[in-house]
Amino acid sequence: MSGNISPTPESPPSSARAIVVVGATSAVAQAAIRRWAAQGKTLALVGRAGAALQRVAADARVRGASAVTTHAGDLGDIAFIDSLSTTVAPNVALIAHGSLTDSARAEASSEYLDYELALNFVSAAQWMQRLALACERTGGGTVIAISSVAGDRGRGSNHAYGAAKAGLTAFCSGLRARMATRGVHVMTVKPGFIDSPMTAHVNPKGALWATPETIADGILKAIDRQRDVVYLPGFWALVMLVIKHIPERIFKKLKF
Amino acid sequence: MKPLSLDQPWGRGFRVTHAHAFADGAHLPAANFLPRGLGRSYGDLCVNDGGTLLHAFRRDALLSFDDCNGVLTCESGATLADIAQVMLPRGWFLPVVPGTRYVTVGGAVANDVHGKNHHVAGTFGAFVDSFTLARSDRSTPLRVTPGDPFFATTVAGLGLSGLMLDATLRLKRVSGPGIEQEIRLFGGPRGGGIDSYLELDAESKPWEYTVGWIDTLDRSLRGVFFRGRHCDGPDEWLAPRPARLTMPIDAPQWVLGRWSAKSFNTLYYRLHATKTAQRSVVPIWPFFFPLDAVNAWNRAYGRRGFIQYQFVVPTAAARETVPRIITHLREAGVASYLAVIKTFGDVPSPGLMSFPMAGTTVALDIPAPDERDRRALDRADAMVADVGGRVYPAKDARMSPAMFQRFYPRWRELEAARDPAISSSFWRRVTVAVHKKGPQP
Repeated sequence: MSGNISPTPESPPSSARAIVVVGATSAVAQAAIRRWAAQGKTLALVGRAGAALQRVAADARVRGASAVTTHAGDLGDIAFIDSLSTTVAPNVALIAHGSLTDSARAEASSEYLDYELALNFVSAAQWMQRLALACERTGGGTVIAISSVAGDRGRGSNHAYGAAKAGLTAFCSGLRARMATRGVHVMTVKPGFIDSPMTAHVNPKGALWATPETIADGILKAIDRQRDVVYLPGFWALVMLVIKHIPERIFKKLKF
Repeated sequence: MKPLSLDQPWGRGFRVTHAHAFADGAHLPAANFLPRGLGRSYGDLCVNDGGTLLHAFRRDALLSFDDCNGVLTCESGATLADIAQVMLPRGWFLPVVPGTRYVTVGGAVANDVHGKNHHVAGTFGAFVDSFTLARSDRSTPLRVTPGDPFFATTVAGLGLSGLMLDATLRLKRVSGPGIEQEIRLFGGPRGGGIDSYLELDAESKPWEYTVGWIDTLDRSLRGVFFRGRHCDGPDEWLAPRPARLTMPIDAPQWVLGRWSAKSFNTLYYRLHATKTAQRSVVPIWPFFFPLDAVNAWNRAYGRRGFIQYQFVVPTAAARETVPRIITHLREAGVASYLAVIKTFGDVPSPGLMSFPMAGTTVALDIPAPDERDRRALDRADAMVADVGGRVYPAKDARMSPAMFQRFYPRWRELEAARDPAISSSFWRRVTVAVHKKGPQP
């Protein structure tokens, strides 16, 4: 480093392609945004309206992002998804929003179940589809969905969440095949338990729990390596292999 | 950044039970909670047995930074590690850093922490321009600036005056990621003991950073003196090397006796004896944070944990009292690794409960203290109080209420400013008589 001159990144040309993050206020998204900001990337942050999105944007600016735009709206609103997807020029898109469905409440309220399925599956699939096309239009890129190990098999304790994530995993798998020859790489990330505000009610947390920072490191590494499906941390691939092979007759009686 | 334990303080050694809440804006728990950062305080200052801990470590966003004057606004859960790593490549560094970078801004303010530059810079609180404080008895958070009554009771306010939401700090320009360091030996076979330390310290005033390590188990009070100043360095030094070592298990208790302490201290002294008077340029990170190179180093002190005893005595009393207390502890059989000695300057601290004062401070690690150690420390407390010194609450787990109230005669002002819904195990312990008597006049 030379003297007191601070190496602020040069301002990018206005046509610079952005990293689009949907659900930018989620813990994993924030951790990933910090890493991209430190690399001086251009970021387009999408989330629900409110102070939280501005907070994440301010943090990214201080940490060195060369440009940060925020786009507030209802993440399930098709008009919002369509209009945003036609205006951004992404080379990377991360779809990170979601809600951990309360299975007991989903059993009691059909409105709640409908809302959760729509948020975790329908809106995520819509974003993936539109942003994959936006990537193709602007010259290719990587689109990443944060699915979950819960999507590998429906469990009694989170059947609604698991089903929505299973749908998203299948959607990504098909989308990957559709886009494979069109210059767009589709990646499915399946994290295990994450110690985040989404799971603040779970205490104590055992050895299976990972921090959002660990997951974000894994996502950035997986993008570099152009992985298709990645379990984070990696040991979940093994755990889920076992869980997927438990016969249904036994599985239905397991309490977890 | 996540605390290593949500329940235990850094010194470990005792268990407490808590409910946990996570800070989310200005929303506060209804009663008996304690704001908490990374839990690096050694004793019961950062625990609230039977109550709630309000964790702020997730509120760690950096909100704005002015590259012209170095003014940074961040949330109170932002860590010094994070700030230093983001700002060093731009030529800025924290104005004051304690011995670990894994503390939050909220924690650094609440304990008004000091560093190796206290003799020229003063405490961390001296670089706080303003902060926002949420209190359970106010509907909206207050913006507090120096001079406001809540400033002096929040800086070094032990987290009791409210939940700090964000703070505005003044960083300092540095010339690069290096430290020009000089190592000198004092005491030992050449004699001189504390006098040779004080001489070295006096002639090192032009150096921005000074600190000594002292072998309290050696009769002649030998030690190693470090002095440093910022300088340029290669770009690889801009980021700290990730800690490769993790203390995987609790060290067995039998390795932690007086004899291991003696051999450890001798080894450490001999290691530095070969580098005497050596001038070198080292990276900024190991100079300030040598112990951060090992994750969970507190486990090296075993399951029963350790306490740290840090006292300060005024300048006029230092020459006589420091050796007297160290000799007393040695003769009482208190084992100590790596005692640190530092002479504070006379820059006033902004907090009414701030620990530093013009004088000399010594910090000792004491593994698994037993009854005999505790009696010896009580006696040392009295020796400190007799000359008008103080013991550091951030490291304490044992001082008596009577001693605390002698060290910090203005504690009632903090009690008056305390948020009625906030408490800590430490505060209940050192103000026990007050709580028994009920509300204060």
